[in-house]
Amino acid sequence: MSEPEFTVFVVDDDPAVCRGLSRLLGAAAYRAQTFASPRDFLAQHDPSIPGCAVIDLVMPDGGGLELQRELALSGADRPIIFLSGKGDIPTSVRAMRAGAVDFLTKPVGGDALLAAVRRAQAADARARESRGAVAAVAANLAKLTPREREVLNHVVAGRLNKQIAGDLGTVEKTIKVHRGRMMRKLGMRTVQDLVRLAERAGIRP
Amino acid sequence: MGEGAVLGRGVPGMRPRLLLLGKDARAPLLTSLAYLIGAEAAFLVGTLSDTIFAPFWPPNVVLFCALLLAPAHRWWIYLLAAAPAHILAELQVAMPAAEIAVAFATNCLVAVLNAVLVRRVLKAPPWLGTLKRASLYVLLTAFVGPAISALGGAFVPILGGGAIASYPSFWAQWYLSNALGFLTLGPIVLIWIGADRTPLSPLSMPRLAEASMLGIALVIVCALAFQFGAGMIDSGFMPAILYSPLPLILACAIRFGERGASGAVLVVTIVLLWLALNHASMFITPSPERNVLALQIFLVGLSIPVLLLGAAIDEVRRAEQATRESEQGMQLAAASANIGLWYFDQASGRFWATGHCRSLLGIAPHTPLTPALIQQVAHPEDRQAAVETMRSATDAGQEVVNEFRVVLPEGGLRWLRARARAHREEGQALRVTGVFMDITAAKQAELEADLQRREVAHLMRVSVMGELSGAIAHELNQPLTAILSNAQASRLMLAGKPPHLSTIGDAIDDIVHESKRAGDVIGRLHGLLKKGDRKLELVDLNELIRSTIGLLHSELVGRRFRADLDLAEKLPPIAGDAVQLQQVLLNLVMNAMDAMAATPPARRSITVSTRLRGKDGVETVVADHGQGLAPAEQARAFEPFFTTKPHGLGLGLAICSTIVGLHGGQLALANNPGGGARATLTLQGRRNPVIVT
Repeated sequence: MSEPEFTVFVVDDDPAVCRGLSRLLGAAAYRAQTFASPRDFLAQHDPSIPGCAVIDLVMPDGGGLELQRELALSGADRPIIFLSGKGDIPTSVRAMRAGAVDFLTKPVGGDALLAAVRRAQAADARARESRGAVAAVAANLAKLTPREREVLNHVVAGRLNKQIAGDLGTVEKTIKVHRGRMMRKLGMRTVQDLVRLAERAGIRP
Repeated sequence: MGEGAVLGRGVPGMRPRLLLLGKDARAPLLTSLAYLIGAEAAFLVGTLSDTIFAPFWPPNVVLFCALLLAPAHRWWIYLLAAAPAHILAELQVAMPAAEIAVAFATNCLVAVLNAVLVRRVLKAPPWLGTLKRASLYVLLTAFVGPAISALGGAFVPILGGGAIASYPSFWAQWYLSNALGFLTLGPIVLIWIGADRTPLSPLSMPRLAEASMLGIALVIVCALAFQFGAGMIDSGFMPAILYSPLPLILACAIRFGERGASGAVLVVTIVLLWLALNHASMFITPSPERNVLALQIFLVGLSIPVLLLGAAIDEVRRAEQATRESEQGMQLAAASANIGLWYFDQASGRFWATGHCRSLLGIAPHTPLTPALIQQVAHPEDRQAAVETMRSATDAGQEVVNEFRVVLPEGGLRWLRARARAHREEGQALRVTGVFMDITAAKQAELEADLQRREVAHLMRVSVMGELSGAIAHELNQPLTAILSNAQASRLMLAGKPPHLSTIGDAIDDIVHESKRAGDVIGRLHGLLKKGDRKLELVDLNELIRSTIGLLHSELVGRRFRADLDLAEKLPPIAGDAVQLQQVLLNLVMNAMDAMAATPPARRSITVSTRLRGKDGVETVVADHGQGLAPAEQARAFEPFFTTKPHGLGLGLAICSTIVGLHGGQLALANNPGGGARATLTLQGRRNPVIVT
């Protein structure tokens, strides 16, 4: 199964705006999908599809900020580009704090929109990549025995083999064996790599 | 008496007091003296014989005039003062004492009786003056009073030895002698000396000369006529000669009214009596008694109509003068009130107007006035209306009011309000009277107030637009976004190989459509923001409501309001100014939004509905679901500067109310039975268009 195509989700209550943006994105070789209301968008939302959302700030049934909040609550990590009729600074600050990629003023120029979409695409890719890496680490961590996991924690904490053996009530040699297996299972060669991986996996010493 | 008072006022010190002390005695003394002179004059004119009375006896008239002029409680002083004069005079003709007493008693009786009668009936001076009063004066003093008094007076000659059988003859002599005095001398004294001065102007030198010449001519004509007449008793020319003084007598009456008439009568009486008693006259018959009787009857008969004619002429003249004065007063008052008076006689086509009226119209003083000229000075735009007004005034016969402008010769315009009414005779409009009132200042003030009102209304619209700027920007940015993205998409697609032509076509269609949409938004805004003159047009209220809600669309959406329209079909159009009416609707909807700021979004709906009310009334209701109005708010909502909003100016509803008022409608605020407030706007349909200037 091939990876789904990057899609720009356009949410605007104005059908003419939806059509125009969708044509522009299409002409720039993006796949675009339009929604007339936030409700429609939320109902059909599939977080697994890579993509970003271009959302009008002012819409019936709740505006763009509300949609952003609801997306965040549902755990979907979708980059959002807001479109607004007015350069309302407090609103844009709120939107950016909540993780918006960009806040564009209507009528939006094609270059600005496409640049924002490109940024959103990159952000989405990064997020997806990092989500993929974390998943791989987690899978490797799951292969460790409880003893090897314990050793990992101690290593990341910067302790020497002798100290770990003391802590765990065993001999230094046994710790060396566990440590070697653990490094192999995780595909790590140096302690520095291991520490970086542990950080990424959210393992705190 | 009056003279004393004047002197008393003019000279300070002791002298006036002495004069004043003497004043009480002075009038009776003067009366006494006049009584004596009157008697002497009677003797001088002459008596025919000792057996009859003096044919003309002034003392009684003197006494009568004095009594009439004096207060009643002092009459006894005058009567007492006259007694010595009477005795003195009668002793000269050697009258016996008893006769003197009876004669004095009857003299006093006629004077008192006449004075009482005149006071009772005529109440106050002027005792003559009008035809009615002069007739009453003649009736009372020349008929009633002497006729009664003569009953006693007739005894005087009997006491002097006259036959008792001659009583009727004595009565008649006594009566006529007195009647003649009251007819000839009485009016003269009362008019010339007494309080009976007419308000006519005192005689000027030419008038005085005219009067003197008339008097001299009258004396000469009378003397000649009677001198000649005496010799022609048998000839057929006697009546012609007898009437020869008449034109002069009439001339006196006509030229000088009552004064002239009474003067002429006195002159004729004296001349005739003097001629009759001292020389030959046409009344010479064998019996002197009959001669005197004939002469007296002739003089009484002459004097009554002449006196009445004089009084009538005075009355007419005074009425004329009063009319003239009131007309002048009215013209003056009209001119000071900036009002021009005019009338138009339809039959003759004559136009008359006051000088001020002419200056109001900007027409030179001596230019002949015609309806065409007045039309010509009217402002070209107002001419038709002026003509129509004039026509409806003559047709309808009721008061017509119209306002029009006059183009002044020195440049500039003047606003006049015309008020006219036709006076009809037998259904034919004969005369239109009217006024022109200068209302330029009022009009100017009205225009200025109107301009200010428009300015404020415009500022309020601008401020509303400011409030809505975000929403309006969004409203405009939607089509612009679509246009821009479609255009840029087309450009990108054109660069593609091969270009996707059908999609480009769709994009261009959208661009065209969205451009129109943006133009519409701008058009709506332009209407609300521009400052142009108000224009009167037929407005479809439903369409106006849809357009207003369209303008507010983004604001409603952004503030999470829902607007429900419930519009009745087939409503009559409203004659009015669409921009101003839209301003009212905008205000009402925005007020409804503000009223629901605290309402949960689920209930934030505004209902705008229209209904036909009555025959042509259109009722628009803007209802919200807010908290409703507090009683104090409801009462003061339309007051300028009253506001419940933290940053409100308090002018919105005040201006709406003014606008609606100018459209002849009503705007009311009330609470909904189911909660929230409702604004009800009632306007009249086009069958009753309102002129909004």
